[in-house]
Amino acid sequence: MRDDDLMFPGSCGLDHDGCGVCSDAGIPARVLDIQGDDALCEDASGNRARIAVELVAPVRPGDMLLVHGGVAIWRAERPSVKGEVDPSEVRR
Amino acid sequence: MKFVDEFRNAEIARALSTEISGLTDPNRQYKIMEVCGGHTHTIYRHGIKDLLPPQIELVHGPGCPVCVLPMGRVDDGIAVAERPEVIFTCFGDMMRVPGSKGNLLEIKAQGADIRMVYSPLDALRLARQNPDREVVFYAIGFETTAPSTALTLQRAKREGITNFSVFCNHVTIVPPVRALLDSPDLRLDGFIGPGHVSTVIGCRPYEFMPKDYGKPCVVAGFEPLDLLQSILMIMRQLAEGRCEVENQYRRIVPWEGNLQALRSMAEVFELRPYFEWRGLGFIAQSALKLSAAYAEFDAERRYAVPSVRVADPKACQCGEVLKGVLKPWECRVFGTACTPEQPLGTLMVSSEGACAAYYNFGRKSLEKMAVNE
Repeated sequence: MRDDDLMFPGSCGLDHDGCGVCSDAGIPARVLDIQGDDALCEDASGNRARIAVELVAPVRPGDMLLVHGGVAIWRAERPSVKGEVDPSEVRR
Repeated sequence: MKFVDEFRNAEIARALSTEISGLTDPNRQYKIMEVCGGHTHTIYRHGIKDLLPPQIELVHGPGCPVCVLPMGRVDDGIAVAERPEVIFTCFGDMMRVPGSKGNLLEIKAQGADIRMVYSPLDALRLARQNPDREVVFYAIGFETTAPSTALTLQRAKREGITNFSVFCNHVTIVPPVRALLDSPDLRLDGFIGPGHVSTVIGCRPYEFMPKDYGKPCVVAGFEPLDLLQSILMIMRQLAEGRCEVENQYRRIVPWEGNLQALRSMAEVFELRPYFEWRGLGFIAQSALKLSAAYAEFDAERRYAVPSVRVADPKACQCGEVLKGVLKPWECRVFGTACTPEQPLGTLMVSSEGACAAYYNFGRKSLEKMAVNE
């Protein structure tokens, strides 16, 4: 088995994802719209929330973020890479 | 489900398990510490332990911020929460952490205005909505969470919000790991590094583990296959005589971390000279406080708090479990006087605490073992 078999770009689990304490979760979400310092984002289950994006700026619609406690702490490299999470594909 | 199913594939899990067994010396014992409480949760929830050869022992580390918070700091928070002008905000799990005279939920039941928030930004929103009240956010967490607090304070300052302050309990991951490595109690062979903390700080801060202590470290994701692969990577290093920092969670963790987040933290926080960790004692430069530029938002300056060191209940052995000296079920009150419903120690409070994780997902197998024996 190659190590790369496990190296899909994207994110960790969506249902219970790592640290649940102190909202220490990492929730992948797609940027839908920019609203000042925030962005309207949608997660894999279709939930939408206003997320602070200063720490991963500049952000544009379509970007994939990792959200922690209402703040994006990571943004996927552009251009989108093979296997990037597409919310339309990952709904339960 | 995409990006979950791939990381829970049973066939790949079996293949990884076989590879790990192949690299295991039957005459040697291996102790690998998972630093992050999220990893502990995954290990118990998915039965990772059962896929490993008996020579490999997983030791649970200090990476659950609720679990390492000493009782005195909880009491300090309660003292602030009891003030009539204050709306006290905190994350959910924090509300059940016992202080010496109860927890925040009990204080709330007695009339204190305590509200659970998902984000520090929610607390700032409350401050905007309640200009005649003082809103305090009880900040807790490692470097994953600290940037959220930093960003919130930057916004508060920019907007000139004066009725908002932060009671800062943010801690950093490297000093307690170094303290564990210096401890004579524990002989470890390698570390599974925290995933989301490393999204912020990157992988470089762990280079002291191979360099100064000769221990490999693999930064890992939170799915079962992430953990199995990271264990395999550690076992490969040990088998090949290598010792370095590797990044299993490359799909998320950049080697250099998130520089924008680190800049925000550097502006808002500075290191405390020392901080008390439950079970580990005082560790130098292991926690954050607000910098001079943000002193006006520092709840510890704004309010008088007892600042008294409070000893854990005598029956509680969280310290030994946190250091990996005792397994959760070896604690004398595990599952009896201390349960997730009525926690005596912090490790039973948080879903990521080793005791709660074992109680929720591992207890039956222990009972089965006892029956078989």
